[in-house]
Formats: sequence, structure tokens, C-alpha cells
Amino acid sequence: MPSETKQNGRVGAALVVGGGIGGMQAALDLAGGGIKVYLADSKASIGGVMAQLDKTFPTNDCAMCTMAPRLVEIGRHKDIEILTLSDVERIEGRPGNFTVTISRRPRFVDESKCTGCGTCVANCPTQTRVQPVEVPAAEIEPSLRVKVANIIARHKNRQGPLMPILQEVNAALNYFPEAVLKYISQETGYPFTHVYRIATFYSAFSVVPRGKYVINVCMGTTCYVRGSERLMDRFAETLKIRPEETTPDMLVTLKGVRCIGCCGLAPAVMVGDSVYGRLTVKEVAGIAKKYAGGNNHGKVNAG
Amino acid sequence: MPARRIELMLCTGTGCVAGGALRIKEALEAELARHGLPDEVSVVPTGCNGFCGQGPLLVVLPDQIFYGWLKTDDIPFLVQEHFLKGRPVQRLMFMPPEKKERIPLLGDIPFFKKQMLLVLRNKGVIDPEKIEDYIARDGYVALEKVLTTLTPFDVIEEITRSGLRGRGGAGFPTGVKWKVCRSEKKIPKYIIGNCDEGDPGAYMDRSLLESDPHSLVEGITIAAYAIGASQGFVYVRTEYPLAIQRLRGAIIQANEYGLLGERILGSNFSFNLEIREGSGAFVCGEETSLIHSIEGGSPEPRQRPPFPAQVGLWGCPTVINNVETLANVPQIISRGADWFAGIGTETSKGTKIFSLVGKINNTGLIEVPMGITLREIINDIGGGIPGGKQLKAVQTGGPSGGCIPNSHIDLPIDYESLKEVGSMMGSGGMIVMDEDTCMVDVSKFFVQFTNDESCGKCSACRDGSDALLEVLTRITEGEGREGDVEFLEELGAAVKDASMCGLGTTLPNPVLTTIRYFRDEYDAHIKEKRCPAKVCKSLTAYWIDPKLCQACLICMRECPGQSIYGEKNIIHVIDQGKCTKCGVCFDVCPPNFDAVKKLSGVPVPSVERGIKVERKKRGKPEQEQVHA
Repeated sequence: MPSETKQNGRVGAALVVGGGIGGMQAALDLAGGGIKVYLADSKASIGGVMAQLDKTFPTNDCAMCTMAPRLVEIGRHKDIEILTLSDVERIEGRPGNFTVTISRRPRFVDESKCTGCGTCVANCPTQTRVQPVEVPAAEIEPSLRVKVANIIARHKNRQGPLMPILQEVNAALNYFPEAVLKYISQETGYPFTHVYRIATFYSAFSVVPRGKYVINVCMGTTCYVRGSERLMDRFAETLKIRPEETTPDMLVTLKGVRCIGCCGLAPAVMVGDSVYGRLTVKEVAGIAKKYAGGNNHGKVNAG
Repeated sequence: MPARRIELMLCTGTGCVAGGALRIKEALEAELARHGLPDEVSVVPTGCNGFCGQGPLLVVLPDQIFYGWLKTDDIPFLVQEHFLKGRPVQRLMFMPPEKKERIPLLGDIPFFKKQMLLVLRNKGVIDPEKIEDYIARDGYVALEKVLTTLTPFDVIEEITRSGLRGRGGAGFPTGVKWKVCRSEKKIPKYIIGNCDEGDPGAYMDRSLLESDPHSLVEGITIAAYAIGASQGFVYVRTEYPLAIQRLRGAIIQANEYGLLGERILGSNFSFNLEIREGSGAFVCGEETSLIHSIEGGSPEPRQRPPFPAQVGLWGCPTVINNVETLANVPQIISRGADWFAGIGTETSKGTKIFSLVGKINNTGLIEVPMGITLREIINDIGGGIPGGKQLKAVQTGGPSGGCIPNSHIDLPIDYESLKEVGSMMGSGGMIVMDEDTCMVDVSKFFVQFTNDESCGKCSACRDGSDALLEVLTRITEGEGREGDVEFLEELGAAVKDASMCGLGTTLPNPVLTTIRYFRDEYDAHIKEKRCPAKVCKSLTAYWIDPKLCQACLICMRECPGQSIYGEKNIIHVIDQGKCTKCGVCFDVCPPNFDAVKKLSGVPVPSVERGIKVERKKRGKPEQEQVHA
């Protein structure tokens, strides 16, 4: 700490940026120590994310019960000044003596007179009017569109169409390009966020392109106690990719899978329909090369 | 079809197919044709035989001779000797690990002897793709009895009296579930067969569908009649392509025979059955999650009650039963509740299928009566631990279960007894672990699994498993601290209390049981920085004993990181700085040298480079070198 700040002494005020549970506690602690505190938050009120939670981990305490006493205390504390709807523009100076420029957005409410009755919220005309949002049509290649449209048409009228549609599209395309997911959302009426959530939830689906061959190293318990982790390490080493990655030439994707049910053959690896069982680390390089250094690939290059 | 002299029941379950069973089938057929035998000997592809550790395998009927570990090269000899000349081939028969004499007959093999086949009674005996085979084994007799002589209430009463409990793991009484659903006013009602068998190390449901899909079709139809459903689904994992294919075939055939569809067997009861595929999410095995998955919603569980039997698929009353539970139903109906209730223990009736896997001699699928002891399963059926090693623990119930230590080997197995020791029945995986398994590593493995598969809806499960995993990882990496074990216990209890669905409330089980029974291993990791089983990479080093090394060059050649120094006749030394601990050297070192050692908790003795090999026994190692 430079000596001049010591000489200057402390500036008798602190700024806490962010009025969540952490910021609130910090403000209270500082104010308790006799320091004037400015508590700034970009929202219209302090409280942050915790105010939206029901319970908190790990004790499952009620979030409001933790927060409410602090809110009240901050509201009453003479040394804490709350700056809501505020953005920090500029910070100058050095530790112990900062000058901060804060801009406050307009609230259109006289805070000194407001009692917080909420009548203005209930009567605000813009709130009840639906704002139409223009959703651009999904840009999708015509050939893809036909393919996907056919699949959608087959399942659209059954109950719970989304899963069968996604499964078939996944089988046909090997992964989901974003445009396809948007198109599915548009055609089925499911929100895009929901379609995306489903497409990323299941391990059989992928939103990034996968290799021509997927090497599935079984990570089931039996395979694990028989050393499948060492197989995985060796595959990664040989292919020079990490698990869940694809080689740059898009030939091989390395993947750890949940039990493939070949526990009698543990440790086992599945590539397409072929299963390699009772593997040892020594055999891994041969299998990896069979797919990665693929003969077909060599021929394509030569041709 | 004319009667054949000999029938060859060739296992074509997933395990055996992976081992080359289809190539064996081709070879057999070609060879039989060459000898002009196709009219006398037929090859019948069957579902999983259960003795997966011996696959590819076949059983010769009517003599009941069992051949295992077949190779295509063996086939010409086998056909010529046995099927042409009538001399069974000794060298392909089953060899028990501890004895010298081979056992020719299936019934004499201890693996099969102690089993009790109820649900799997047709495994390996019928062609699963032919409905006629199933009917010939009294298939669909129970369905006929139900539709012609019993009311739905009679069926529910019979199942309740039999004491059948859910085989998915929790053990809820099946009859009670059906009754609740039946008494709901709302229609339509649905029935779902749960074959989302996500537990790693368990494959009984897959095997059941592969070897006898019609037993499920019949069971689910009876259940639908009992609860009053006219639409049913079977939710199958997408990782089980063969099971899906066989079930699809079975549904088509049953429709053709009038055993599914409109007005079944001329009665007023109609029932339609569909397959829905999963897409690889463990949590979908949870019933509310499974419902959301079929509906196309976020596959997350929801709070119960209301139970699915009251508010389920599309808000309608829905019964979800495990595939194995449903496959029990036809047997109970045709042979009576009293017969079924006579098998098993006080609280758990009937049989249970387990997949006996891991460090055990006879790997495979077994069906045993409830109340059998672990000792009988492991020693008699399983044939003990390979390599004369010691049993350390048995893990049941998958990621939700726990590890049962060696000291509880005389535990009679049923729902209650397993719960008492901190584990659970689960779907029936039984993974045997020997002294080479590190219990801290195993509990890390399970938490890694549940952490990955947690849907993330409730924070206790999502963040709790994160925190557990972080501490466990730290311990296995040698960074464990005093108080870590107490923290794990406390956090485990909190996650158990606060999670919503079965995944979260059971995920601490593997951690808590290993702490309960193997506290010393945790302490060894934390205090002595030593992994007793020599599994945890950060705590283990590979070292070549200079007294034993014969400088055979094998480990040097195989080492992927070129981190072994040595030459011909010069003792090999591992460069500890470069070694990635992949363990290849340990695997390839010839067993008669046994020079590569794993060290844990002790400093690695340094060995000078360039020491010449001293050959004491001249003959053997020399020859070994020539081979290499």
C-alpha cells in the first residue's frame, strides 16, 4: 500500500456494487464498522437472485427468511444509501481514495413520496398489451428442409411427437444443426428453448457434428473395475483427442458411454455394430488405427 | 417342420453376438450342409442363455451338452465328431476353474444347478422370433384364462395375494399399484413397461426381451386388462437395438394372432401396444421422468404424490411396471398365487434375476429364489473369484445401491435385508469386487455417474453431487484432508434428505456404505497417501524389480510414452518423470518373470541404469525371449 494513502487517511465511505445477498451483507458489515456505504444495483430493487429462490442449498432454509431481516436493516440503516437503477460509469483514483461516477436511470417516480403501494404497477397499460415479437423464419437448406419436413409430417399428429421426430432426425443427420432445431420448433410449435433443451439433454443427441465412426468406450461399473478408464486414456493418447471430441478429419469421435450391457465381455468397446470385448490396453492402438487411419480415407486422398 | 435328430440351441444374445455367434451360425450351417445333415440337425438361434462369460456358446438338445467359447475354427471338427459320428467333443466343454475335469451336461454345471428359472424359463429353449415356440411352451395360456374366466378385480386380487413386488428396485407391491389405478375414475388409463435399464452392470431386462419378448407382451396385456387400459407403451433404451428389434417382431406377431389389438381372443377387451425409445438419459428410468420423456417434455422428475397411478401420462392414471415384474405375471396367473407365494422369504416372494459380473469366474445372468445367500451366489453359481483372490465386496443396486462387504457374505438376499446393510435391490446388478478394487475409487466412479446424469432440477442433487465428487476426487489424488470423511457423511445425509426423486435420494449410498465398511481405506488415502488396492493413479507408481527383470524388451516395446530405459541384457528401468501410469508394462510383463510391480505409499526405490541381467535359470527365460 503506498504511503500517501496512509497519510491521507481513509476516505470515510465505501461503495458496494451489486445488491444481492453478498452485497447486502457486505454493506451491513461495513456500515457496522462505522463507514458510510453506498449500495448500488442496476435493478430497480436490491435483493438479487436470492429473492427469486424458494429454498437454498444445502440446509434448505427458506431464502426469504434469510434475506428479509437484512433488507429491513439496510432500509433502516442511516449510513447506507441505496442507489438503484444505477450503472457504474467510471472509477478513478487509487485504493483508499476512489472517485466513482454513477449514472442513475430515470424511475419516473418520486422516491421520497412513494409508499410502495403497487397501484401504478397494476394499472400500467403497457403491461397488459402483448408486444408482438417478429421471429425470423428458420434459414434451412432446401434439401435438408424436405428431409426434416417429411419426418415431422410422419409424427406430427401423434401424441408427444417431439421425441420421435428428434430421434429420426438425429439418425438421419448424425447431429442437429441449429437451423434444423429452429425449423423443428417452428413447425411443431414447441418453443426453441425447449427443443434445444431436449436436444442437449440426452446423450444420444449432439448439436456438434460427430465423426464417421463413434468409438464408444463402455464406462459401466463392470468395465470400470476391469480397467476401462485405462482403455479410454490409451484411446485418447493414440487418437490425440480428448473424450467427447472428434478428430480434425471428422473420422472418429471418442465417447464414454453408460453400460452397453456386455458385462460378460468387460472391458468392452463398441464401434457402430461391432463390439470388441475383453480388451487389454495393448490392443487399443490397433483398434484406434483401424478407424482413424482408415483405409478408405487413404484411398480417398490418393484418388 | 419335421422332427430333427439334434437341435443346436445357439445363443444369439448381445454378448454372444459380439463374441462372433453369427459367424459361428454361418459356419455351422455351411458345415452341416457339407455333410448332408440339414435334415437331421438344425441350428436354432435363441436369446441370451445367461452364461455370458462362456460365449459364444451352444447347447445340444436333446443330450443337453454344453459347449462354450466356440471359435469358427472349431466348427468343422465339432460337426464331424459330434453330430456326424456321435462323439461329444471334450475340449469344448465347460471347465470349472478349480477342477481339472470338464463337465459335459448343462444340468451338471454349478452355474445352472442352483438357479430357479421362472421368468427366464424359456431362455435358450425357444427361438425368440417365433411366437409358435412361445405358445408351445404354454405361452398366452394365462391371457386366455384371464380373458375368459377372470374379472379385472380377480386378477388384481391374485397378484396382490402372490406378494409380487416391483422388480425395478424399490419393491412396491404390484397388486396395490394396480388397485389404486383401477379405482381412479378418469379415463383413458395407460400402462407402461419400463425397460430403461440404466444401471451400469445390469442387463436383465435386455436379456429378457432378447430371449423371450412374448412373456412381456402377455404380462403387459394382462396388466392392461386388470387396470382397464387400452393403450400401452414399452419404453426401451436406444442402446438395446436387438431387444427393440425382437420386441417389435413379437408385437407384430401377437397382433397377427389376435393376441393384441381389437377384441383380443374374441373378448370385449382391446389393447394396443407401442414401443417408445429412450435416447440415453439415466434419469428417464425414474417413473415421472419417463412419463415426461414420452410426452416430449423436459425429462425431469416431479414431486410425488400425486403418484402416476393417479395422475400420470397426459394427466391420466398410469401404471409403470418394470419389464421383469410384468414377465412374472403370466406365471402367477397360470400357476396360482399360492405357488408363487411359496417361493422366497417372508416379505419378498418369487425369484429375482441378477447380472453376476465383475471379478467373478462365471459371469452371466442368473435367476435365483429370494432369500438365497450371497455366499451361494458367489461361490456355487459364480464359481468364486478368479486368480484365487479374496472377495472384498459385492455392489448391488447400481449407482443407487451400496457395497456389501465380505463379512456379510451369509446375508440372505431380499428387499429388506439389503436395505438394512445400506444397499438396495435396484434392478439387479451384482458386481463382484476383489482385493484389486479400490473402494474410494468405486464410490468416486458412482458419484461421477450420478453427477453426470443428474437432471439438474433440484440443487441438492445437482450441487450436492458436485461437492461430493470434488472431495472424493481430492482424496483419490492424494490431497485428502482430515475431516473429509466426516464432511462426506454429513453432506451425504443432507443430499439424501433434500433431493426430490430416487436418483438424488439414493446417490450418496455408494459413498456412505463404503465409508461404513471400508473406513480404513479412506484413512489410508488421506493419512498415509496410500491406495491399498493400488488403483488410484496419483498414489501409485510402476517400478521394475531389478532382481526379477530378465531384460526381455517386451515392456520397452509396448510402453506408449517410451519411458522405459533398457537394452538387451540390460535391466529395464522406468523413468518416473515420464511415466503416464498407463499400466501397459504391468500387463505385458510375462507372468513367469512378474518383474513390474505397483507401489503405493512407499518411496520408489531408485535403480541404477545399465545393470547387466543375471540369469539364474538359464533354460526358461531364454526360450521366452526367443518367442518374444
